[in-house]
Amino acid sequence: MPGVKRNRDGAEKSKSKDGDAPTGPFMPMFEVFRGELDEHHDRRERIIKASRDITAASKKCIFSLQRVRALNNDIPPKIASEVMEKSTAMASQFAAIAPDLAGINAWRYQRQISGGIQEYMEAISFEHYLRNQKLITHEEASKLLPEGVELTGDDYVLGIFDLVGELMRFAITTMATTGSLPGSKVGEGSAEERDILMDLRLLRTSFEALDTTSCGGTGLGKDVEKKMEVMKICVEKVETAVYGMIIRGRERPKGWIPDLADDRAPVESY
Amino acid sequence: MASSSAMVDPKIFEQLQTKIDEDAEVRDQIKAIIQTLERQSRNAQSILSRAHSIPAANLQPVLEAAEAAIKDEVESITKLATTTTGSPYYKYNGIWTRDVQNVISTILLCGWLGGISSQGTPDAGRLLTIEEIGQVLNGKLPPQSAMLLLMFPVPVNLKDQDAFHITIEEYLLSLINLIDELARLAINSVTLGDYQRPLQISQFVKDLHAGFQILNLKNDVLRRRSDSIKYSVKKVEDIVYDLSLRNLVPRPAATTT
Repeated sequence: MPGVKRNRDGAEKSKSKDGDAPTGPFMPMFEVFRGELDEHHDRRERIIKASRDITAASKKCIFSLQRVRALNNDIPPKIASEVMEKSTAMASQFAAIAPDLAGINAWRYQRQISGGIQEYMEAISFEHYLRNQKLITHEEASKLLPEGVELTGDDYVLGIFDLVGELMRFAITTMATTGSLPGSKVGEGSAEERDILMDLRLLRTSFEALDTTSCGGTGLGKDVEKKMEVMKICVEKVETAVYGMIIRGRERPKGWIPDLADDRAPVESY
Repeated sequence: MASSSAMVDPKIFEQLQTKIDEDAEVRDQIKAIIQTLERQSRNAQSILSRAHSIPAANLQPVLEAAEAAIKDEVESITKLATTTTGSPYYKYNGIWTRDVQNVISTILLCGWLGGISSQGTPDAGRLLTIEEIGQVLNGKLPPQSAMLLLMFPVPVNLKDQDAFHITIEEYLLSLINLIDELARLAINSVTLGDYQRPLQISQFVKDLHAGFQILNLKNDVLRRRSDSIKYSVKKVEDIVYDLSLRNLVPRPAATTT
């Protein structure tokens, strides 16, 4: 449609006597709204981007940590430095968006940042487990998040669900390479050993006892169902692997890896 | 298995369960209020619907009834605000935002028809601003419980304050409802023999449309809903065209561009 004059906001220029059509009675109001909406969209996009970067860095952390072989021990220096490097990067990502998530906006953009926080939870809880053979508490995890970024109960739980998948992989790889299930002494001077399978089973029973029916279709209720299934499959895989190791282990050459044909995709899916 | 309790601190899951249960309780409370609010909005909407079959001159009783219905709505909104005082606003606002939009829509329509005039002079064709909507929602509250804070456009001190408020998205979505309703009213005004009101509506809707056009909308609900405005504008323009074609327009000077 040639010949139609438009203002910079795209509205047709009025040819009538009141040639100030774009400056109608409501324009000042809408200009305020435009400013607010623009700010909102910018914030939202910054957060989405940071969330993606944090997710990617967390995954790399987890890859590095999967090369650890001993439980309840210090992380080997090379891996530790890799993880540290990623953690520093993530800390600055978080710090950059902390102002965008301040106060009332923490929950406003919760859906946008949630993915990154869950993946971060997975990484720090995995590291915590490797170091201490313990499940990180909500308080401990919150402290590992930079100031101003809130860790919701939902993100915490969903991160822990994903942790089970990492523990499964860690258990099976360790079994395959060292021929034994990772575990450690229960306490100083105690002869009792606690292995990763016991831990996984305890996690499973704890999860199963969690009653999320009240959540309905919102947030937690929606995701838990799917994650619960994946979590159970993970625990069962370790159980099967341990069974195989005990019953047939001696007949097998060292370094044999249990059949893992189809287990990667559902665990890491996002 | 006794030793394995060392892996998971039992408190972790106890606390999680407590949190989940607390959330569920708040949500249940909100839903109970919403249920009442829904009924009240429907009532207010049905009263305002009578405006389609009553000439503008005889609207006063309808407006009074609508104002009473809105008062009920405001009461529920107040309850909602009090109930959610302790919770982050955006944690639950998805539950009520649609109903709050309906409430705002009824207030906007009532105001446009000439109701809700604190100044005493009822004049039709008025747009209540987001601040005025806030005052309507606030007006029935005792002064100390100024719970219904407006986030906009007094942003500096309120953006950090996590309290119940009307968001601009809600206000804008309600404006779209108002526009839809006015397009219908334009048609029905003609049926009632009122040829003046379609012109008034036409100008009003066009002004709002121009306002929406300067917004940089992303592909979200606001964008999708605002797409309907142009159809409303066209609908009203067609009516004005029909009227002017038949020389039924009261004042030729007021024709549209």
